[in-house]
Amino acid sequence: MDRSGDPMKGPPADRRGSISFSRPLGDHCVHMGIELEGLSSKAIPGQFFLIRERGVLDPLLGRPLALVASEGNVLEFLFRVSGRGTARLATLPPGAALELRGPCGNGFPEPVRNELVLVAGTLGIAPFIGIPSFCSERVRITAVLGVPGKGWEPFVEWCSERFTGIRINSDDGSIGRHGDPVEDTLLIVGQRHEVWGCGPEAMLRGLGRVHEKGCDRLLVSLEKRMACGTGGCLGCSIRTGSGSKRVCVDGPVFEWRQVFGGSHEI
Amino acid sequence: MKSSLRTEVGGVSLETPVIVASGVWPMDPRLWPAGSIEGVGAVCSKGMTLEPREGNRGLRIVETYSGVLNSIGLQNPGVEHFIAEELPLLDNSGRPVIVNVAFETLEDLGKMLERLKSFRSMVVAVEMNVSCPNVSRGGMSWGVHLESLGSAVSMAREVWEGPLWVKLSPQAPSIGEFARASQEGGAQAVVVGNTWLGMAIDNDLERPFFENVFAGLSGPAILPLALRAVWEAAGAVDIPVIGCGGIARPGDALSMILAGASAVEVGTALFIDSGLPASICRELEANLTKKGLASVRELVGRARNYQGEIGERLR
Repeated sequence: MDRSGDPMKGPPADRRGSISFSRPLGDHCVHMGIELEGLSSKAIPGQFFLIRERGVLDPLLGRPLALVASEGNVLEFLFRVSGRGTARLATLPPGAALELRGPCGNGFPEPVRNELVLVAGTLGIAPFIGIPSFCSERVRITAVLGVPGKGWEPFVEWCSERFTGIRINSDDGSIGRHGDPVEDTLLIVGQRHEVWGCGPEAMLRGLGRVHEKGCDRLLVSLEKRMACGTGGCLGCSIRTGSGSKRVCVDGPVFEWRQVFGGSHEI
Repeated sequence: MKSSLRTEVGGVSLETPVIVASGVWPMDPRLWPAGSIEGVGAVCSKGMTLEPREGNRGLRIVETYSGVLNSIGLQNPGVEHFIAEELPLLDNSGRPVIVNVAFETLEDLGKMLERLKSFRSMVVAVEMNVSCPNVSRGGMSWGVHLESLGSAVSMAREVWEGPLWVKLSPQAPSIGEFARASQEGGAQAVVVGNTWLGMAIDNDLERPFFENVFAGLSGPAILPLALRAVWEAAGAVDIPVIGCGGIARPGDALSMILAGASAVEVGTALFIDSGLPASICRELEANLTKKGLASVRELVGRARNYQGEIGERLR
């Protein structure tokens, strides 16, 4: 990740790339490396790229995937196979030609506190992977992950290699603690903590219910269906306490309060 | 861009015949993908209404085979905000701005055009979106009822002195008749067309995906339908036809022009290829060179002059 303090603030660009590696992590997820043609791309954790197979008009749209890491010209992503687009991406071999639009979105800011708790529901971990190398060394990070359970062992193992002391929770109790990650955070979050969440909407809502007043800052990274990634089509608009916002350019990182704090429907 | 691509369409001079369709790029050009302005002859604004609109609730985008269903619901901040905040930004893009207006009553249409009149120097044309409901006819779209369309175009013509285009609805029972009604009402060009009504069902939840049940289909899936509509419209009117619908590759734009379009609008394909306008321009230039032609204007409708076996039926 870029640590120079010069995050990409301009518009995204359409770039060509090719798959440098593609590894399944169990039955549900893929860890993919994509080599960009030309210059490397400056991006910060929380930003994302729209990724699609080059030269193909079906599936049509790029899939918004959070940047996991970048090393030179190779960008890394994690995705769950959940529809036609990701299923297609998962079957492509190394060398396959791709198109990427990005980096899109605002990304995470520098933490304001020295104690940062990252709460992820399954693939919600993706934008957090780059946080340790992005944040200054003063910040102590605790990652809390929730997964359904059986079949997710390779994914959990992969995450565990990236976060020392990661707290694992599973719905079926087969991996780590039996329970959800929000409950797990009750044991560790206090007033001096900052909490960032990414995962299913229900998890994010729950996170705020227990921590909105109990921690220093609560940020969430949202996922929405998208088409353009540049704030034009308004396909990813949400209603917030401060009016309509586009997840692709005004987010995906928002203050929890702004999204879930009011009585409005998002 | 080479002068061979320069053209004039419906009262508007264009450096290239490639226009960015309404509802694709944000109103702030600083958000447009790097390099996306190259090859663009003009930009259409997001669909504008008199008052702000929040847009539709629920899911707004569903991908289909080579296409996208959208149900955005004309989310926009209203004409006053557009004039104060967005039009100056668009004007700075360095490209002519076409303002797309949507309306539920003739009164709304009149008020919007009155407001836009004061900013005539920043608006090269008004594009009427006639796919929205006409409240006085129980919500039936302006674009599927001949008299409604005629009354709206005539009214707009009286108020707006600048170039006036009508973006026809593909749901019109006869594209040719509706194009003619637009011409008779005083339109200087017809854009053929808008999204095609479709729907998608969530099989798991056993319900339509969209709150409004139906949604607009765009993308390469509709190209053959749009091409046919352009062909019909170009055969029915003397004013220029602007081809819009499903253009995803440079050759698609050429097909539209050969079918009779004087210019094209590109939309959904920009979601995946911001360089498309530039590649269309290169394709058109190469085609002119290959044929020894001097201007893109000479390509318009050439497929209609075909002299082979089917030639008689084309005329």
